[in-house]
Amino acid sequence: MIPRTASQPASPITFDAELLRRYDGPGPRYTSYPTAPAFHNGFGALQLREQAQRSNDEPIPRPLSIYVHVPYCFSPCFYCGCNRIITRDRSRAAPYLLRLARETELVARWFDRDREVVQVHLGGGTPNFLSPAQIYELMESLRSHFRLTTRAERDFSIELDPRFLQLGDIASYAAAGFSRASFGVQDFDPVVQRAVNREQTVEQTLDAIQACRDSGFRSVNVDLIYGLPKQNADGFARTLDIVTAARPDRIAVYGYAHMPQVFKAQTQIEEADLPAAADKLALLQLAIERLGAAGYRHIGMDHFALPDDDLALAQDAGTLHRNFMGYTTHADCDLIGLGVSAISHIGDSFSQNPRDLPGWEIALDQGQPPVWRGLALDRDDLIRGDVIQQLMCNGAIDIGLIERRHDIDFDQYFGAALLRLVPLIEDGLAVRTGDRIAATSRGRLLLRIIAMCFDKYLEKSDAAAARPRYSRVI
Amino acid sequence: MHAPAPSLMPIADDGDALRFCSTCAFSSACLDQGYDKSRLAELHVLVEHVGPFAEGTHLFREGDKFDAIAAVRAGTVKTYVNDSEGREQVQGFFLPGEVIGLNAISRDQYPCNAVALDSVMLCRFSFPGIAALASRMPGVQQQLFKLLSQDIGKAALLAGNYTADERMAAFLVSLSRRYAARGFSAKRFRLTMTRNDIANYLRLASESVSRGFRRLQDAKLVAVDRREIELLDLPRLEHMAASILRG
Repeated sequence: MIPRTASQPASPITFDAELLRRYDGPGPRYTSYPTAPAFHNGFGALQLREQAQRSNDEPIPRPLSIYVHVPYCFSPCFYCGCNRIITRDRSRAAPYLLRLARETELVARWFDRDREVVQVHLGGGTPNFLSPAQIYELMESLRSHFRLTTRAERDFSIELDPRFLQLGDIASYAAAGFSRASFGVQDFDPVVQRAVNREQTVEQTLDAIQACRDSGFRSVNVDLIYGLPKQNADGFARTLDIVTAARPDRIAVYGYAHMPQVFKAQTQIEEADLPAAADKLALLQLAIERLGAAGYRHIGMDHFALPDDDLALAQDAGTLHRNFMGYTTHADCDLIGLGVSAISHIGDSFSQNPRDLPGWEIALDQGQPPVWRGLALDRDDLIRGDVIQQLMCNGAIDIGLIERRHDIDFDQYFGAALLRLVPLIEDGLAVRTGDRIAATSRGRLLLRIIAMCFDKYLEKSDAAAARPRYSRVI
Repeated sequence: MHAPAPSLMPIADDGDALRFCSTCAFSSACLDQGYDKSRLAELHVLVEHVGPFAEGTHLFREGDKFDAIAAVRAGTVKTYVNDSEGREQVQGFFLPGEVIGLNAISRDQYPCNAVALDSVMLCRFSFPGIAALASRMPGVQQQLFKLLSQDIGKAALLAGNYTADERMAAFLVSLSRRYAARGFSAKRFRLTMTRNDIANYLRLASESVSRGFRRLQDAKLVAVDRREIELLDLPRLEHMAASILRG
């Protein structure tokens, strides 16, 4: 790698309610740039295969990262915006796994076998809809087609729903190779839990976290959500205290995005039960204060970590990256997404599998790699993607680095973007000092707004048309 | 303000009726000898700018009738043969300013295949024509001899018992010198050939090539960003390559 400049240690966040209210509007989360709405179906399996083969040709081919999507859930959480299928019928898992194995085999052929898989993430849906034996089988199937790293610092993670864990399950995930777990909690307040149809006890959750520690997991993440129906400061404060006392290595605090026109499950949520904008912001402020006081560091966007966690260390070293799985320490992997709706980032492309199960199944039953749509990145996409990546990971853009890497004059290339940035600088969200554009402590919660200045696709699309696709920024 | 980075996509500037491209294999021969415009025009009628050829296009194949040599104006050309078991053996890479087809001069047929590794533009010299001209223009003849001997020297580069690191260093230093000789950056260039091609050419396994690049990178001798290479410590690389590149 061309050496990166070390990022500045994260400054504390300043919470400015008035500012946040003013800038709260829809915006992409930038787990990729360009974002998924720019993908098109002129990019299919043929193009992806070419990108994959080309990625083998680099002098030091990038390591691989594999995401596997398990779409099934036993019961619907009403806030959910993920691609999932609600069923209690566990027999649906076996045929899904069979097709996953087929997909793995088809896609693995494209990659040279000496390329190491350094990251595996099993997400959903609910990965523990699968039995521990099925999860083991799934990992074995990956192992038979890819070279999964055996290093202790491997990053093999699984999202788990504590409500459906049996004693001993977590030890068997460890035996399958997993080293990290992520638990959904959202809020322990029983009133909120009933309103979102997810009743989960503190005990279930803490037992699961403890089981991870006992089984030698490297780290545990807990997801919380603010802005849920019937949520209030007292209840959320108790949740934050319970969670921080359990010392998970990472905590994510997502803002609930109410888009019932896009996510059907959300129609079950009474709009009247949602906290008012000011109350929602107060919940965010509460989370930031409590997490900070408990020694957690703000990594970026919705993510917090203990200072000795790999994410915090990577941020200090300037090697933090962001992809579809959120923040990651694995710079520059080719990301292979397997399963229904999964997104891949291979070579200079993004691509996505069919979002509907039948579409994904039919392709595999015909022996075809299931690619629904995608995008081959051009030079401009790569330059803007680099800028947005730096912003999201370091909270700053190193202008000299961008100029050297891409052979451009920054001010000339980004003339229009810099004009859009002016009001943000005037509002104190960002500062430009010489060779750097950085989010201020007030702007750290609004990285998406700063990044949007550099997004060419937002320029092109009618702002109104883009609205329903993205959640509000806060 | 920032200094413009060297171009990573070297291309020779275009010549015109009486001026040669800056990378032309014959420009020095003709200019040094002080030929007048009419003689140069004689040379020019033999010259044809062809291309661009898309990546993967064969420029000639082994056994094709030999009728021309060609200077690369832009892009990279790989030459290779297939051995008796059908395995590809890479013979060399040709950068802007370098001439392909020279090893066919003593034969009627091209003895190898030539394929474009990226978008390639050529300056084609009809061979019977240039041979006839050489007999009347000693400068052209001398230049032909010079090119021929360079071509033979290149083939000998990697025969011999060298370590993987020595081969890797020699390969990078050789590219660096050749780019520099045509006025391009000696320290920063794009590797247009694949990892497999490099491995094949250096007689190493692909994995060894990647490990070699990683070692050179860890030792801060090079920086690798995708296919872009920056030579951070050319003197040390030269030193490592010295036994191969001597003379």
